[in-house]
Amino acid sequence: MLELREVKVSYGAVEAVRGVSLIAKPGTTTAILGANGAGKSSLLRTISGVAPLKGGSIFLNNQDVSKIPAEKRARLGLAHAMEGRRLFRQLTVEENLRLAWSFGTQKTPQPAAIEDIYARFPILKEKSAVQAGYLSGGQQQMVILSCATIRDPSFLLLDEPSLGLAPIIVTQIYEFITSYARRSGATVIIAEQMANLALRVSDRGYVLRRGKFVLEGESRKLLADGVANSLSASYL
Amino acid sequence: MTTFLSLVLAGVSVGAVYALVALGLNVTFWTTKTLNFGHGSLMMFCAMLMVYFASQGLVLALAAVLSLLVIAAFGIFIERFTVRPALKTNNSMGWVVSTLGFGIVLQGVAAKLFGSQAVAFPSILFDSEDFVTIFGLHVSLQYLVVLGLSVFLVVVLEAFLRLTRWGQAVRAVSHDPELGRVNGMPVNAIIVGSFVLSALLGGAAGLLVSQIGGTVDPAFGFNLVLFGFVAAVVGGMGSSVGALVGGIALGVLSKLIGGYVASAAEQPVAFAILMLMLALRPNGLLAQAEATKA
Ligand SMILES: Nc1ncnc2c1ncn2[C@@H]1O[C@H](COP(=O)(O)OP(=O)(O)OP(=O)(O)O)[C@@H](O)[C@H]1O
Ligand SMILES: [Mg+2]
Repeated sequence: MLELREVKVSYGAVEAVRGVSLIAKPGTTTAILGANGAGKSSLLRTISGVAPLKGGSIFLNNQDVSKIPAEKRARLGLAHAMEGRRLFRQLTVEENLRLAWSFGTQKTPQPAAIEDIYARFPILKEKSAVQAGYLSGGQQQMVILSCATIRDPSFLLLDEPSLGLAPIIVTQIYEFITSYARRSGATVIIAEQMANLALRVSDRGYVLRRGKFVLEGESRKLLADGVANSLSASYL
Repeated sequence: MTTFLSLVLAGVSVGAVYALVALGLNVTFWTTKTLNFGHGSLMMFCAMLMVYFASQGLVLALAAVLSLLVIAAFGIFIERFTVRPALKTNNSMGWVVSTLGFGIVLQGVAAKLFGSQAVAFPSILFDSEDFVTIFGLHVSLQYLVVLGLSVFLVVVLEAFLRLTRWGQAVRAVSHDPELGRVNGMPVNAIIVGSFVLSALLGGAAGLLVSQIGGTVDPAFGFNLVLFGFVAAVVGGMGSSVGALVGGIALGVLSKLIGGYVASAAEQPVAFAILMLMLALRPNGLLAQAEATKA
């Protein structure tokens, strides 16, 4: 279970997240929706520990991790696919996968974990010896998701996994995410601007606006209420 | 022909020393893309400290180990106080000044503690009179030891970088430390470790070079670092094999020019050739191409 209590993030005078609370249960997917600059990335980054927490606290399975450094949170089973196509561009696809597997607790032996990924994304097997920086945007996103899930994390944070991708790739990426969520029983948090997409695969949705939740509810209900369509006008 | 061969051999020998210095500089470049411009002072301090410990009656081996330990501690200090603060802000070049400053301060401290005169360095491994004969030429055993050690370290460092997960992590950390942390890598420990390793390489180089030269003084090391830096850049910054090739290229070039043209031309001409070479291969002889596609 992942719990946030009155979480605050600020950069100097800029308050990016201004007191946000939520509880996300294992086996559920939570969507954080919001426009550019709403604070989605800041929220995810403070959960994984790469952005400083200015107030409030963060619990993973009832353990307060607020003061634990990012690398230790990663070893507690937290994974974060950051925004901005973050991978080791000068390393090959397979080197990226091996590194993502290597540090922390592993549930599957390395060869099996990598074979599993190649079975899900056959193109990555073809490109296994290519430097990750030379892949297409969609292929890079596949590597990023594979790295984030290779150690079977219990907490998975995904920052705009659909950003800048063709619709067909977005579908493929989202199938991978829902399949992981279902088989792992992990707590999954997805930050997205594409509200419709995120609400369709999630159990609960939260709308973030200028660092605060302005609306929350069951994703099904939010979808039915047409929140996604009215979001741009009233909330985003 | 014999002149040529002996010039080449002499060049290879000094080149191996430059390579050793270049290797030390490379290690911190791997993790932080920074260089310790005070590296020469670490070399000097290690040697002077060893002379001091020996003069206090310590067994030579123990004196060497103790001074290397002190130098390793300096490595931690340099990372913590001269490099880490500068790296907190993007694009700060503050580390250039602070590592250089640390080197100059250390030089002053050495002059104060041990005097500014050159002191005799004890024979640890061998005597400067030890020679072996190769192709009918007398080759100083000391130089062979330095060459052997450089080659050995190149092999070890390359194997570490390529074959172990820690080596891969080291390469990764320099490109995106934050991504490293998100993946569970102990980034700070890796960076501190690289400064300790770099300092140890510098200390060991200092001991070896003083052993060869027979003396050491506080100003010792500054030129060597300059040449080690050149060797690293010419070979391809960060590449261990490049450090060896670059060091030997620099050594052989200068010796050949010194022998056939004029010893005053040794450095100017060698550097002119290296500049030309860098114009043709800006990343150095053995640098890898980097994937930059967005
Ligand atoms: N490192 C930083 N330094 C200063 N301000 C920052 C920093 N990172 C984010 N901000 C500011 O914090 C606010 C929230 O940014 P954040 O990146 O969290 O938004 P976001 O919802 O992820 O937006 P997007 O959809 O564009 O990625 C913005 O006003 C942004 O300018
Ligand atoms: Mg964002």
